[in-house]
Amino acid sequence: MPNHQLLDNITHKDVHVITKHTPEFGDNSSYSHVFIAEFRDVQAHYPIFFQKNSQTGQFEVIALFGLAGEENLFLTDAGWQANYIPLSIQRRPFLIGFQESTEGGVVSEEPVIHIDMDSPRISYNQGEAVFLPQGGQSPYVQHVAATLMAIQQGHQQTKTFIDTLQQHELLENVEIKVTLDDDSNHAMNFLYTINEEKVAQLSDQVVADLHRLGYLKAIHMIFASMPNMSNLIKLKNRQLK
Amino acid sequence: MDNIVREITIVGGGTAGWLTAGVIAAEHMANSDSGIKVTLVESPDIKPIGVGEGTWPTMRGTLQKMGINETEFFRECDASFKQGAKFAKWVTGTEDDFYYHPLVLPEGYEKINLAPYWQPQSDKVSFADAVSFQGHLCEKGLAPKQITTPEYAHVANYAYHLDAGKFAAFLQKHCTEKLGVRHVLDHVVKVNPTLDGDIASVSTKNHGDICGDLFIDCTGFNSLLLGKHYNIPFISKKHILFNDTALAVHVPYQTEQDAIASHTISTGQSAGWVWDIGLPSRRGVGHVFSSAHTTDEQAEKELRDYIRPSLGKQTDDLSVRKIPINPGHRELFWHKNCVAVGLSAGFLEPLEASALVLVELSAAMISEQLPANRDVMDIVAKRFNDKFLYRWDRIIDFLKLHYILTKRTDSDYWQDNCLAETIPQDLQTLLKLWRYESPWQLDFDHADEVFPSASYQYVLYGMGFETSARHTTRRSDNIELAQMKFQKNAQLTQKLLAGLPNNRDLINKIKQYGLQKI
Repeated sequence: MPNHQLLDNITHKDVHVITKHTPEFGDNSSYSHVFIAEFRDVQAHYPIFFQKNSQTGQFEVIALFGLAGEENLFLTDAGWQANYIPLSIQRRPFLIGFQESTEGGVVSEEPVIHIDMDSPRISYNQGEAVFLPQGGQSPYVQHVAATLMAIQQGHQQTKTFIDTLQQHELLENVEIKVTLDDDSNHAMNFLYTINEEKVAQLSDQVVADLHRLGYLKAIHMIFASMPNMSNLIKLKNRQLK
Repeated sequence: MDNIVREITIVGGGTAGWLTAGVIAAEHMANSDSGIKVTLVESPDIKPIGVGEGTWPTMRGTLQKMGINETEFFRECDASFKQGAKFAKWVTGTEDDFYYHPLVLPEGYEKINLAPYWQPQSDKVSFADAVSFQGHLCEKGLAPKQITTPEYAHVANYAYHLDAGKFAAFLQKHCTEKLGVRHVLDHVVKVNPTLDGDIASVSTKNHGDICGDLFIDCTGFNSLLLGKHYNIPFISKKHILFNDTALAVHVPYQTEQDAIASHTISTGQSAGWVWDIGLPSRRGVGHVFSSAHTTDEQAEKELRDYIRPSLGKQTDDLSVRKIPINPGHRELFWHKNCVAVGLSAGFLEPLEASALVLVELSAAMISEQLPANRDVMDIVAKRFNDKFLYRWDRIIDFLKLHYILTKRTDSDYWQDNCLAETIPQDLQTLLKLWRYESPWQLDFDHADEVFPSASYQYVLYGMGFETSARHTTRRSDNIELAQMKFQKNAQLTQKLLAGLPNNRDLINKIKQYGLQKI
């Protein structure tokens, strides 16, 4: 069970965070959420797909790391084998929370940093310090704060992006069938992608609208991410040896 | 004067009127200049009865074809899932007496008839449980799909329970706003015939005469056009199906988290049966009975006795609405340029939710075979009459089947139901045959039967009917395949019990997040 606490420089004065990505620190999920703002970096390394959230049925955008449930083919004892790690992984063990604040009689929700104290990344003697000796935020946590803000904005942007794709009925289910070198078969039927033909048939007006919103670029980056699927299969085959 | 069919006038709103309007308007493009013009005239005073709060799985296709969003339907019609019916106290009347008529077909039904292979183990497992997983889902209060399943798609076949009043209003909005149906809120005061006996127009109090090339009578028990204007005789079926009165109540839940049953619960009483339909906001419960076999007071007492365990003292405060039923149908449904859909065509009783499905089937056939002009209308009318007379007869047979297999002898009602003179000849013949051969595809004449042979199997074997084993072997006997199918059903049952959500939880989620189109 996660143990989320509001980060403060008294309770968490001596907390350090281990930032390396090796299997013992979690991250063994086969996907993570990704946001439009990071598509350029993500598409260079991972295939980008859509899937339905199991709790809400709503579509979300993901980068795929493996072919089975708890499989992250990039995660090795030597660290994460790719030059870019998606924001929603980078943030760990921090997350964003909201706190009510009153200013001049107006109640508003302020974003605040939370930390999962049950994360295996929490340490008191190794890794990055969270607070400076005088109590100020360390440069590491300032970077984390920026990451959390980017995630916060990314959520809404990406949701609007998905809504737009659905409005034009551009999403479709894809069944991915892979035969590995040991002749075993793997099938994934829960992934969705953008139908290229339907994009090609969009009217000039719609294309212009999508372009203005930056969505046309995002759509093409998703198309461009597809060859990374063969990289996943290559990594999986390498594991078999 | 040309005789092309361009305008359809539907008289009467309610679920029958609006479903028919929607099916026809969607297919015949009422919202385009080149399509058919559809007008619905509805009296502002007459409250629709709102037949049946239960549908068939066919309703999913009907709604989808009309371009309705399933999430909106759930949100606005107080709709819930229906995975079949549980019949309690129909066989012996004891507390442990029940069987399921689920909506999924028996496992492997396209390949193998499992009934003869199940019969030898009938003392160990019920037929429904041996061949389908759905009774287990119902018992556990699970939904027939997940939040990630697209709209109208299913994991386990399903129909709906709904609030008929809200459903009619929802359809009205969709028909008038999206499908181009013209809505006239006015009284029909007169029917104006042509020289050759067709209906030329109906006169309204405030909107003048409304013409039409085809008139659809959806005026409920009133049967304003087919019954009152054309005097098409009514054929009573009360000598077969005795129930002629219903007492209906709305039963509140105790808390917002109370389970919503995902099946209709139908419980035998001394002279009828009680329906219990779970909607998200309330239960619809009613007692339908034979007034020849009991009194209103006794029937009302049995109804309240049924409700009391779940509602306690509040039970006595519930206000009961009495609805008379005249079981039967018109001798014809389509006469001249007028066709009746819904209660105006007939009604039997609420058992097996046959009312709304007949509306769907009627609307579908009118829409599909809509005569291009008056010259060919009589041909379509004859086809329609032949088909629906056949369908009414099959429904009557199937409903009667539920009564004649009872072993209850505690009241005249159940005993009278088993008297040979109350059982249609066709049904007697089938029953004789089924003593030696279980119901199968070829027992019925039509490709589009209302009730598939599987439904007969569920009721027959649910009620403990025995079909003797053959004395000789057949080439197609395949006990290995049968064992495989039983096993597959057992595996599927485990898998679905583990993977499907609680019924109320899913309905709440659908309202909150919506179902995806893909």
